This record gives sequence, C-alpha cells and structure tokens, in this order.
Amino acid sequence: MCGIAGILKPNRPAEALGHDIKGMLSRIAHRGPDGYGTLIDDGFAMGTVRLAILDPAGGAQPFGDPSGRYWLCYNGEIYNYRELRTTLEARGFSFRTACDTEVVLAAWIAWGPDCLARFNGGFAFALYDAETGELFLARDRFGKRPLFYAIRGDTVLFASEMKAFLAVPGFSFEQDPDQLSAILAQWTPLPEQSGFFGIKSLGMGAYLSVKDGALTPRAYDSLRFDIGPRVESEEEAIEAIRARLSRSVELRLRSDVEVGVYLSGGVDSAIVAALARDFASKPLSTFSVEFEDAEFDESAEQRLVADHLGTSHHAERIRHADIAAATPEAVFHAEVPAFRSAFVPMYLLSKRTKAEGIKVILSGEGADEAFLGYDLFKETLLRDAWRELPDETRRSRLAQLYPHLSHYGPEDIAAVTGLYAQFSKEKMPGLFSHELRFQNGQFSARLMKEKGDPFRAISELAANAPGFQRLSPVEKAQWLEYKTLLPGYLLSTQGERMSLAHGVENRCPFLDPEVFALATSVNLKFDDGFVEKRLLREAFRGRVPDAITDKRKFPYRAPDAAAFAAERPDYLELVLSADELAKVPFLEPKFASRLAQKVLTKPASEISTKENQTFLYLLSIALLDRAFVRREGLSDPVLPPLDKAVDLTARQAEVSLPREASAR
Amino acid sequence: MSRIRDFIEEQFLIEFDETFPESSDLFKEGVMDSFGYIQLIRFLETEYGIKFSEKEMTGGVMVSLTQIEATVAEKVSQRGAASA
Repeated sequence: MCGIAGILKPNRPAEALGHDIKGMLSRIAHRGPDGYGTLIDDGFAMGTVRLAILDPAGGAQPFGDPSGRYWLCYNGEIYNYRELRTTLEARGFSFRTACDTEVVLAAWIAWGPDCLARFNGGFAFALYDAETGELFLARDRFGKRPLFYAIRGDTVLFASEMKAFLAVPGFSFEQDPDQLSAILAQWTPLPEQSGFFGIKSLGMGAYLSVKDGALTPRAYDSLRFDIGPRVESEEEAIEAIRARLSRSVELRLRSDVEVGVYLSGGVDSAIVAALARDFASKPLSTFSVEFEDAEFDESAEQRLVADHLGTSHHAERIRHADIAAATPEAVFHAEVPAFRSAFVPMYLLSKRTKAEGIKVILSGEGADEAFLGYDLFKETLLRDAWRELPDETRRSRLAQLYPHLSHYGPEDIAAVTGLYAQFSKEKMPGLFSHELRFQNGQFSARLMKEKGDPFRAISELAANAPGFQRLSPVEKAQWLEYKTLLPGYLLSTQGERMSLAHGVENRCPFLDPEVFALATSVNLKFDDGFVEKRLLREAFRGRVPDAITDKRKFPYRAPDAAAFAAERPDYLELVLSADELAKVPFLEPKFASRLAQKVLTKPASEISTKENQTFLYLLSIALLDRAFVRREGLSDPVLPPLDKAVDLTARQAEVSLPREASAR
Repeated sequence: MSRIRDFIEEQFLIEFDETFPESSDLFKEGVMDSFGYIQLIRFLETEYGIKFSEKEMTGGVMVSLTQIEATVAEKVSQRGAASA
C-alpha cells in the first residue's frame, strides 16, 4: 500500500518538476510513511510514498524493468502475484525481488492492459514508457484504491488523493455544485466524480492512456453478473462459499508484516477473523470501535467473537467528544462530502491500529453487497412483489425491514404501508431499487442554491451500462451498490482513506472476484432473499458463535448531529455564522442556517435521519471548502525518508540512494 | 388550517410561496419522508382530535398541503356532524 502522484508538463525543467513531485508526495505522505521515491524525465515526473508490506527491502519505487524503458509507481496489492509470477517465469521473465510490484510491471510488459483482468487485488498504478513518453493509469475493478487526475492547460496531474494537488504551483480547488447536488441526493459520488471542478476520479475497472496531451480512458471490467460457476444444490453452494472465502482470506494474508482484523460485531468480520485464525501462527490481533453511546455500541458481540477465537483484542472507545474533535481531520482525509459521521471512528480506529504496530488489516466490507445483506435488497424484492402480496404480508415484511427505526413499529406501520404503495411501480428507469433512497436524498440537495437534476448522471450511468437492463430488480440494486455506495463511501470515505490516513492498509476478502462471481450466481437461486445473507450464515454456522450467526444486521452507525450538539466545537461557526456560510457561494444560506440551528438545538428524537445526513453534508462541505478552496488550517507536509531517485534526463537508468535522515 | 402550514414549514424547513406552491408533492420534492409523514399524522391527530383509520392509512397518501388540509377539513366536519 502506498500513495502515488505525477505531473506531466511539457517544457517544465526537470529540476522544477522534481520540486513539484516532492511537494505532491509530501501531501500524501501518510499513505506511505516508510519511504519515497521519484522519477524525473523531460516534461514528466512521478513518485511513490511507500508503505512497505511485501519485500520491504527490495520493493523501492519507482520500479523499472531491466531495460530502463518501463517505470511503475504502484499503490496496492495484487494478492495472486505469486501465481502470476510463475506464469510469467514460464514465459521467460526473471525476477529480482519478492515484491508484487515487479510482477505488475512484468505482467504489463507481457500482456499490456489485458493484464488488468488477471489481477486479483486492490490497486492503482501509473506506468510510464520512457521510450514513447506514454503514460498509463489503471485502477482495480471494485474501486478499492483511489486515483484522481486533472488537466490544467497543457498539464496533466494525477495522485492517489486530491490533496496532492495542493502542492502544485497555481493549482486551485473549486467545489462543483452540479456534482455536489448529485452526491447529496444519492449519498455518494459516482465512479468518476470528485466533487471538485476539473478533477476526475479514474473509474473502477478502468485505465487511461496519456500520450501527446491526449487522454484515452478505457474500461476493462464491467461488473458482469453472469460469470459465476454452475452450482446445482444449496449444499454445493454453501461448500463453495466456504472454500472460496477461505482461499480469499489466505491470499489476503500474504504479507511480510503482521495482519490484523477489524471486528464490527457482525457476522461478516467474524467470518473473516475465523478464517484468518486458521492460517495464523500466533494469536490474531483484532480491533474494534466501541461506543460510549449504547445505541451504537456492539462491544458485547465484538468481545464474544474475540473470546471465541482467542484473539488479542484491542478496542477503541469512542465518545461524542472524540467524533467532534476528529471530524475536521477525517473530512480532510475523506476529501468528499460525507452523509454520516461513522467514518470518523474508523479514522480513530486506524490510528490505534497503527499505534499497536499493525500495518495491514482485513475487514468484512463487501459482504452485504455480494450476499444480499442490506435491507435495501429485501425492500426491492418486497416492492417488486407488492401488487401480488396480501396486505398482511406487506405489513409484516415492512415491519421486519428497519426495526431500528421507531416509525416502523406496530403503531405506525399502516401509514408506512400506505407510503410504500407509492413506490411499487418504477418511476426512474433502471433505478427502481433506489427510488426511495434518492427521493429522500433530495432533501439534502436543498442545501444547494441550484440543484439541477441530481439524478441525471446516475440515470445515464445505468442506461449506458452493458447488460444492466437485463438484470433483475435485485441484481440492479446490487449493481448500483457496487457502483455507488461501496466505492464512493464504504471503501473510500469510511475505509481506505481513513486507514491510509495513518498508514494502515485494508484488505477485503469479500471483494475477491471469485467470491463475487459465486455469490451473485447462487444468492437467489437457493434463497428467497428475505433473510439477509442466509447462505453465508449457513456456511459458517458453528465457526462463529451462534449469537453472531443468528444476529440480525445491525448497521454500523455513529452519533451524528448529537455528537456536535453536545460538544459545540469551535469549527461549528462554519455552519452557524452567516458570514462563514456566505463564503461558500453555492450554498442556500437560509436553509443551511435553519437546518444547523434545528439539529444542534432540538432533542435527538426530533431529528430525522435525513436531517442528520444533511447536517453532516453541510458540515463536511464547509470543512472541505475551508481546507481545499481557502487553504485554511493546513498543516505543513513532511516527506518520509528517501528510498530511490531516478533521473532519466541524466541518462541514469536507476540510482538508489541511502536514506536521508534529514529528509524527515 | 394555517396551523398545518406552520407545522410543515417549521418541521420540514420550507416556505410555501410562488416557487413552492401549496399543491407541491412533498414526497417528490424531498421534503417529507416516512419519518416526517408519521410526525405529521401524529400532529394532525393531536391538534384536530381526529383519527385516521388503518384503511385510510394504507389506502392512500396525502402528498401536498392542499390535499392534507382538505382531508383534515373533511374529517373535522365529519366529526362535527357525528357529534351534532
């Protein structure tokens, strides 16, 4: 795991580019605190800050092939690198290191962009052909690792995080109201959105070639749902789930440093921990967030799993004040508006993880998307079948959907049933499953003076996706989750960006391509979809405590507006002062002000979920504007020690340098 | 009936005017969700001493201020007629 950055600017001298790239890398040094390296050529520079996990001594970057033609700056891990290396060796390639970086480079040389489909991992990389001057940028199929790029005149910039662009002379940030409207209404950026004008996120499953100033994006993976194996019985499905998940965990334990596991208290992370323990030679280290606020706390379940598996367990206890204090830093690392505060405890958990000496963790992320764990899927099935169901069945299934929401209780279920009747027919083509969410999301879009059509981009994404129209309503819901909330929030804002803020790499066994292919092929074949993740639970019954296997999904949440209402941190002036609100010109100040006043003064029981969400959006937009647009409160960046500098203009193919203590 | 208008404006942070008329669909505009709808029903039942039957609740949803006011007015008058 690492961070990468680069700048392509014709006619800018190498010395100046060297200065620019070091500035960019320093802004993302948290991603790779173990060392940094740069490559400079005429009009081009790129570099890596490295978190050394595989072959710590031999994997310094930029990594070049023996001829000195191809150079790689790489972020992430290819878990099947040993198998690919064997295949490449059979083709005549020889290897100098035990690092997956070298395998990625060789695979590109051997197969070109076709190598991407062979990679099982989470990655983003930049590959430079010094002979032709062509640059390739690539990103993994599930959007696990980030890669942003921007064009400014004749300059092309790229980086793992947008904050690297803060170091580029003359670069300015401006939040894009059209993108923000869409993000607010659909809870997440779409695969190519960043929230800022002129900055794009390279899409998941895509690569980009840059040559002579022309950018050509291409997709290599389209998230197909029809590639799973033929499975004839439920028993066979369950056996296959066990085997593939076990293999997936084994692959993700490949590391030269210790690997820990995040335990949420739910079944997914418990399964990951149970499987990881099978391969561990010493007690597994596990980590959890505990909440002082009992409404959100799962510490009893976390400790039950830890005790059952005999892990060395570490819990980070979170109070409202902790969330209030850490939010500005966490938002700065997230870089996009967030609709809930749950990512902030993850920021604090990764800090604790790093302090305990763990650089790599496994988590259960991706299980709900693969094995139909969200109520959204049940809701879609229910709404799809609505007209055929008797009223009593509608009500009883509705009542089971969101038991943590008080208004789904017996007293109000008739009114809720009446509401759902409105949504039993598709109104937004292809988006049937998410219509309710999106309609509620429109409330947040009221933060914008001009909200435009916040659903245009996602409607186009769905309409243009190959094969999407042939999917069933539940599969469409899955597809949308894989394309929106998973990469746009769960893997990024709440996941990768929080863990890498402290130099901790996260790995997700449920995002293995073979696990995905299997899950999507067996879910509804042997299941009616009304018991979430039933096949997965059955597969691991007995491996984790029954109390966990049988536990209903408890969505991971954290105190939202209440965390700020109690503590009133200084920075709330951003959303409470008319002068401060006026600094963000696209916000509707009257609505923003009324909302902030309401959520910070009324009892929590009177604040709706969408008001909580909208407040978090407002706060994060204001914090992003302060940090990125106005550049206030930025800390001084610090580079890690120098690992390697390559100067192609000096005709030096590769120069390795000793570590410079003074570089710190 | 301005109490209903006041409640909705206060509760859902909106203002009815020429750009947002009283006939606006409060669900489609993202003003009201299920939580807000339940809050509204409770307010109407308490404020006007009326009760919505299960059949009324499951049968249809009041989506605009105009519709809500008309429904409440009808129920209030029915109650008055029944008690006369």
